Amino acid sequence: MRRRAFIGSVGGGAIAGVAGCLTRDGEDEERPANDTEDGDPEPDDPDLEGTVTVATYESMVDGENPAGPWLKEQFEAEYPDAELKWTLPNSGINQYIRREEQEADLDADVYFGINVDDLARIDDNLSDGGLFRELNLDRIDRSDRIRDGLDVGDPHGRVLTYDTGYISLVYDESVVDEPGSFDDLTDPEYADALIAQNAQTSDPGQAFLLWTIDAYGADGYLDYWRDLVDNGVRIIDDWSESYYGAYMQEERPMVVSYSTDQVFAADEGYDMSRHQIAFLNDQGYANPETMGIFERASEVDLGYAFLDFVLSNDAQAEIAQRNVQFPAVADEFVDLDESFDQYAHEPPEAVTVGYDQLRGNLDGWVDDWAREFASQ
Amino acid sequence: MFRSGRLDGGRDWLARHALSLTALATAGVLGVMLYLPVGVVFVDAVVDDGVPTLAAFHDVLTDPFYVGVLADVFADPLAIGSHLGALVGWLGTFSVSLSIASPIPGVGLPVPWPTIDTPGVRMGLFGFTAYQAALSTIASVALGLPAAYVLANYEFRGRRTLRSLTILPFVLPGIMVAVGFYAMFGRTGTLNTLLGLGGIGPIPIIEWNPLAIVIVAHAFYNAPLVARVTVAAWESVDVRTVETARSLGASERRAFLDVVVPQLRPAVLTGALLTFIFTFMTFPIVLALGGLQLATVEVWIYDRVQRLAYTEAATLAVLETILSLALTYAYLRYESAQSGLARAASPPDREPLFPTVRSALSPRRLAIVGYGLVALVVFVGPMASLVIGSVTDGSGFTLRHFGFLLERQFEGESFQTKPLPAIRNSLLFGLGTLAIAVPMGVVISVLTARAGRTGTIVDTLAMVPLAVSGIVFGIGLLQGLVFGIPLPGGWRLQVTGAVAIVAAHAVAAYPFVTRNVSPLLASLDPAMVESARALGASRYRALLDVELPLVASGIVAGAAFAFAISIGEFSSTVILASGTDSYTMPVAVERYLGRRSGPAIAMGTVLLVVTAASFVVVDRVGGRFER
Repeated sequence: MRRRAFIGSVGGGAIAGVAGCLTRDGEDEERPANDTEDGDPEPDDPDLEGTVTVATYESMVDGENPAGPWLKEQFEAEYPDAELKWTLPNSGINQYIRREEQEADLDADVYFGINVDDLARIDDNLSDGGLFRELNLDRIDRSDRIRDGLDVGDPHGRVLTYDTGYISLVYDESVVDEPGSFDDLTDPEYADALIAQNAQTSDPGQAFLLWTIDAYGADGYLDYWRDLVDNGVRIIDDWSESYYGAYMQEERPMVVSYSTDQVFAADEGYDMSRHQIAFLNDQGYANPETMGIFERASEVDLGYAFLDFVLSNDAQAEIAQRNVQFPAVADEFVDLDESFDQYAHEPPEAVTVGYDQLRGNLDGWVDDWAREFASQ
Repeated sequence: MFRSGRLDGGRDWLARHALSLTALATAGVLGVMLYLPVGVVFVDAVVDDGVPTLAAFHDVLTDPFYVGVLADVFADPLAIGSHLGALVGWLGTFSVSLSIASPIPGVGLPVPWPTIDTPGVRMGLFGFTAYQAALSTIASVALGLPAAYVLANYEFRGRRTLRSLTILPFVLPGIMVAVGFYAMFGRTGTLNTLLGLGGIGPIPIIEWNPLAIVIVAHAFYNAPLVARVTVAAWESVDVRTVETARSLGASERRAFLDVVVPQLRPAVLTGALLTFIFTFMTFPIVLALGGLQLATVEVWIYDRVQRLAYTEAATLAVLETILSLALTYAYLRYESAQSGLARAASPPDREPLFPTVRSALSPRRLAIVGYGLVALVVFVGPMASLVIGSVTDGSGFTLRHFGFLLERQFEGESFQTKPLPAIRNSLLFGLGTLAIAVPMGVVISVLTARAGRTGTIVDTLAMVPLAVSGIVFGIGLLQGLVFGIPLPGGWRLQVTGAVAIVAAHAVAAYPFVTRNVSPLLASLDPAMVESARALGASRYRALLDVELPLVASGIVAGAAFAFAISIGEFSSTVILASGTDSYTMPVAVERYLGRRSGPAIAMGTVLLVVTAASFVVVDRVGGRFER
């Protein structure tokens, strides 16, 4: 690269650095009373003008073929006076819990991508039913389209599911036979064969741990894991490293992953024999993703409009295909491509550990598990 | 920096007070960008509901999970008798036995193998973290010193470029190192493919000993650091001292041991110290390559932060920092005792690496070739495998991952991360970091060089940025600067965006300048500055005209590190960049990493290429100042 051209291209961009800014608390922010037990009233004339700020995780707007840009474009087409602004908090829901504790501005109206354990953590740290408002479902016409079994069991009715994934095993059929149950994984046949993720740092890792708790109970899961460790399970940090590092370099023939694995494999042109899905005990662990409106949102009406829009037919199809997850609505309300149906596998039975069980237990379960296997 | 005054008087005043003003500015930056955010988090460790307490420390120090066998000692420090009894009982259970084993993986060659049967000692999380850091330090020094020796003493085509490129491993994001290592050492990785051509393998290298591969990965990161620090010192060795020793009858080896080694030792130990501190704080690599059994303290800090258990996170982080700073202080006491009488650098001439075909077969040259092969496998291999990974997918060669980058650049939405702004920001922040970190580092070196024990304490405190957990620093920035600091009257002061990122990078980078400059400054003959002062030069003049030229190699080495730290920094950048357009290349890598790895690996390759190009430039420009 010629230096002149190089410097020219670097120097061409203007750079705006905000060194510091002073803001005044309490401006343009409604602070509704915290005890709205009866949900939000339904306005006759909702205010659908302004900018609704939606917090979400990074792969929703970055990464390859994300759903975020499509959602923004379509939402703005449907509500011409509205603008949708994505924001990416870098420690997820925790950032808003901290902001709430410190009474700092939230700078967001809607959170898109809340997990069940996030709700439990909110309530363990703030107050019961905190951070998000109780939704008035009469204001979300399409909310009754959501399939049974995807309700995360929040007693405060703060969230709606917009898609779900299933944790399963992905295995290489040319190396091992399909494992049928959790007990199979402790057989000598599967010695040194399984890669799992650290439940402390990884979503699928935590889901797999909760799945074993669902199968063996809070009293029995550690015994089961000891058997797994004796059989040589490797617990790696993060899904990306475990899958793209260890599994795809054929370190081992089985990995904890998502049941939509073949959608990616087909897309990347991989040999399908290494991308077989195994549903242990004929189950998959459901990880529903949900959305909610902040208690301190300034654009409540647009927030409701966004939630309803996300459950519309087109949005459900696009989210499912771009996010590679399953739609939250029943089949008659969404039209998916045939290739998606071919490669995305749903388990015969979906299990999940709900809000009530997670509340107050989750941290202890994960901590006991991690201490058991990290102790030197 | 400063607008020069309209009158000469103003300029004189500035010159006289330049040191104090720079020191003040340094203190200001450190206060806002380091002590405030870190203090915000650390206070959680000792204050519970507004009441100071040490309960959290007591809980951690008496928990065998964290401190292993020392838990009993901390729980009951005065029961010396029973502790000694336990120690004696433990020593009585050693045994050594000889057995037949096949120690080499994949090769069934039975040899007699001594097994030392030691009773397990519970190291605890802190013990294990220190243990793997010590092993990593040894490996990094062992892999870094030969490189320094070759680069400092031999001349060959591409030497300067190679020297520039030694920084590359240092700036790679953790995920890229992990993926690169799997692509190099995995069962179907590059190395096994090459071995397969020779009819060996495949060897399950990573599976065979996860701890060994983690240590190699740490050496991948840190050996270049050791090498660069040592090369800088080697090139400022005064060759006349060696010649004097030789003329007095010392053999070449004797002269090396008695004259050169003492001049290199501070640099090597500096590299070792920095490596130990870095690997003590290691986070993603350990779990990505090794697994949960190799968890370190930093893994637990991250977990506690995720679960919002800030008190325990802060307690662990404070203990980490205390250990790192204690080690730093011990080292600095040693360093300050090494005052030399160096007058000027006149580095040794470099000899050609392979002057003749015959000399290529000399034992020394063969050893260099052997080391070169090791370096190819450990350093070049993972990076080359990454580059290969960026142009392949399931069906072979493809340019679609780079196509994604182009498409994102030209068709991306305003709220999406684009490659070119990331490259531009990285380079601009790197230059900005240079401009701030170098004066900061130099001023701290100058202030502490002759200040005796007080200087050592200030110098130790100046190392705080390296000794604080990156996770805790990030959380502190978030709570202190991004959320804003409440001020009276309902106002909040918030600091984010480009300026904050550059300041955070400078805070992370200036210790490298200090550590590279201080040993050289301390070894200067004080008489030279005194003569200049006696002849009427101001302190600032003497610094500018006498001291700095003599330690230029250290400043340049430190500046190169400052640039590298800025390019590679992730944890605080990602926090300060959120919601702005100030993202950098490592942040872009992380954001492109979704359920498909291709785009992220392509971005990681771009990061490698841009860093390589800019370092060739940085080192060339720096080289002009060195001589």
